[in-house]
Amino acid sequence: MRLPPRGTTAPWTRWMLVLLCAPLAAAQGSAPTETKPEAPTTLFLRGEKVIVRPGRVLENAAVLVTNGKITAVGTDLVKPDGARELSAKVLCAGFIDPWSALGISGDALRDAGTAPSTRAVDAADAFADEHVRREALRAGVTSVRVQAGTTARVSGVGALLRVAPGLPMEAMVIEADAALGMSIGLSANASNQGPTFEVVDGQVIQRDRGSRGMDPFDRIADVDRVTSTIEGGRNYLVSKNEYRHELEEWQKKIAEKETELDKEFKKAKKDREKEEKDAKEKGKKFEEKKYKEDKKPQPPRFDEDSEALAQVANGDLPLTVQVHRFAELHGLLAGTEKQDRLRLVLVGASESIPLATRLVERQIPVILAPALNGRGAPDELEAADLSLPARLSRAGVTVFLGSGGVDPAATRDLPLLVQMAIGNGFDRDQAFDALTLGAARLFDAEDRVGSIERGKDADLLLLDGEPLSSAGRVQYVISAGRIVVTPEG
Amino acid sequence: MIVVEDGKIVRVGAEKDVEVPADAGRIDHKGWLSAGLIALHGYSGANGELRDTTRAALPEARVAWAFDASSPDVADLARQGITSLVLTPSPQSLAGGASAVVKTAGRSIVTREAQVCLGFSSQNLSFNRFPTSHTGGIAELDRLFEKPVGTLEKCKQGDLPALFEVSTPSDVLRAIDFAKRHKLKGALAGAGWAGEVATAVKNSGLAVVTPTLTPGEDRRTLRAIVALGAADVPFGFGLEAPASHAATLRLSAALCVREGLARDKAWRALTSEAARIAGVEKRVGSIEQGLDADFVLWSGDPTELSSAVSAVYVDGKRVYAAEER
Repeated sequence: MRLPPRGTTAPWTRWMLVLLCAPLAAAQGSAPTETKPEAPTTLFLRGEKVIVRPGRVLENAAVLVTNGKITAVGTDLVKPDGARELSAKVLCAGFIDPWSALGISGDALRDAGTAPSTRAVDAADAFADEHVRREALRAGVTSVRVQAGTTARVSGVGALLRVAPGLPMEAMVIEADAALGMSIGLSANASNQGPTFEVVDGQVIQRDRGSRGMDPFDRIADVDRVTSTIEGGRNYLVSKNEYRHELEEWQKKIAEKETELDKEFKKAKKDREKEEKDAKEKGKKFEEKKYKEDKKPQPPRFDEDSEALAQVANGDLPLTVQVHRFAELHGLLAGTEKQDRLRLVLVGASESIPLATRLVERQIPVILAPALNGRGAPDELEAADLSLPARLSRAGVTVFLGSGGVDPAATRDLPLLVQMAIGNGFDRDQAFDALTLGAARLFDAEDRVGSIERGKDADLLLLDGEPLSSAGRVQYVISAGRIVVTPEG
Repeated sequence: MIVVEDGKIVRVGAEKDVEVPADAGRIDHKGWLSAGLIALHGYSGANGELRDTTRAALPEARVAWAFDASSPDVADLARQGITSLVLTPSPQSLAGGASAVVKTAGRSIVTREAQVCLGFSSQNLSFNRFPTSHTGGIAELDRLFEKPVGTLEKCKQGDLPALFEVSTPSDVLRAIDFAKRHKLKGALAGAGWAGEVATAVKNSGLAVVTPTLTPGEDRRTLRAIVALGAADVPFGFGLEAPASHAATLRLSAALCVREGLARDKAWRALTSEAARIAGVEKRVGSIEQGLDADFVLWSGDPTELSSAVSAVYVDGKRVYAAEER
């Protein structure tokens, strides 16, 4: 009979470890310190207008930042001794680009072999694209959601990262598991791209087939692949839950049997000895009595991809699917209808206008890129014009705006593209929410970023005018409590 | 208030000073009115012209012959408040012929001979037809300008400005040198980095046409354009439409303004300065008496990207009106 382990480390072992470590730590402390990005200090930030969160404004207020966190916000704060004071016309939360290509190494971004368990955070590179990062900060974008394999069918788990270059890992990563990303029907995945070679009359002829996008069969296969992958995650989740239930049952039974055996220990011992003796006399082999409790339930075979997918099926991790055409959007919605815990987020969603009512019913948000697509852009993007955010939003769909996840440098111009979306009818207050608290909430990071509230990380902008207007130039940017942009550079 | 008659602006002024004819129709707009925008250097409506790479020099060609006014690409421009487009021949030619200034509505052509396009960038070099090098290209252009014919002759005489297709700062310097040698005036097109040699450009008297500036545009280009503005070099924005979306024109200006370009300079580059570069300032580019009635009604300040086009008028006729929201 196997019993669950009960042992714990003896207290003295832990003391030993501490004692051993102490001299080491002291030795490190005396070593010369490395130059690191400006360490968090105490900041006292004043604003004629402080946009605490979307829809809530304080006039002539101040924000206190201590050790990277917002520790006080109010109109009656007094500057603590030694705090550095900055002031501006407007203070607001840093912008979040929910669909960016900035923050991870380029090879990871373009990786076509990503799997559900691929984590963008493993490719996070605080030193890549440094000048692009600085430009994005100067434009007010302080964090991004990025994923590896951005155009792969399964991109893996995306991360919410800070834009400021050179941050230590713990300051750079806001949310390592922001969402699982997938895509359906992207021209980038078309199998008919590039030239083909044929032999005609003994001569090699090169035919340039050009990019014609994916054929409809490939696209339908893509929809199937995505829905069945999610279904697989759900099955894994079900068998994990079954196992947990069976294990509990088994442990209960083991406990019962133990008590039973304890009670009748003497009799059981006597019986066993007798049986053993009888067997010896008869020249038979003695066999231990078998209990049905001996058979411990087996857990489902561990699979890291299924682990990630199970989280998605359970709604612990949002699922972002880049999908554009009506047929595939329709197929995805139909194929996920019964997955009531799934937190589906549509990305791109160019032809989603006819499905707006269903998106509202199922409370599915969309992330759009207010793109400027000229002729020659992939065919799936044709319907994604500047008015799409406004039209979907007016139909009641929750709309977020991102830079498109292809070009890292495009993140810098997200605030300008959002202004163009506003010009095309998207509500200004909704746009601000989408870039700040809304985006933070979408990736379960609303306790960390997205607004200027006590207890949150200090990620904020000091502007000399209204955000999302040409007058709202960025003066200072604070990221995780560090001053990362000043008017001088 | 402006008064329009037969497609022309006949009076401009404050409401109390302007005499309105009794039978005039009236449009009240609670927003801004501006001249229509002008996109320099585009291909909308003459897309096929980009494919002629067989001959290096076509000095007699006029891209206006290829213009299809009914192309949807042209209407796309009008919707974004662009009322005139400078249609240019392929930048892959050494001497591509004459550019044209076309209206984006009403099939009207402002001029069939706007500029003479000359190639100075590596784009006009080819591995399988002459010229195959910068030196060869410039030698050939020198030869063409020794005994100029057709549009080249007009250019040499100063009747037509030249449009030098360039890309790098050294292309810019080569083009400036060529212009000096043959006493040509005109503009440098595709010259995103011309601002890096702003003094030389300023002294040459040539204007600049920027390449299309798209989201994520390299900061080097943006800084160079800001430097052009600071050096008071006249410039306008190119729009490689239809490959670039028509709304990119206004974004190009906004990118430069964010980088530090004075807002009024950016606005002039979209309108009056662009008209001067294309040599059509007596027809379009401003709201002035006697000019064509090409204007845009905006929901707000047109230099803000969050302002949208409410209506577009070309030659006094409404050609686009935004849906009521």
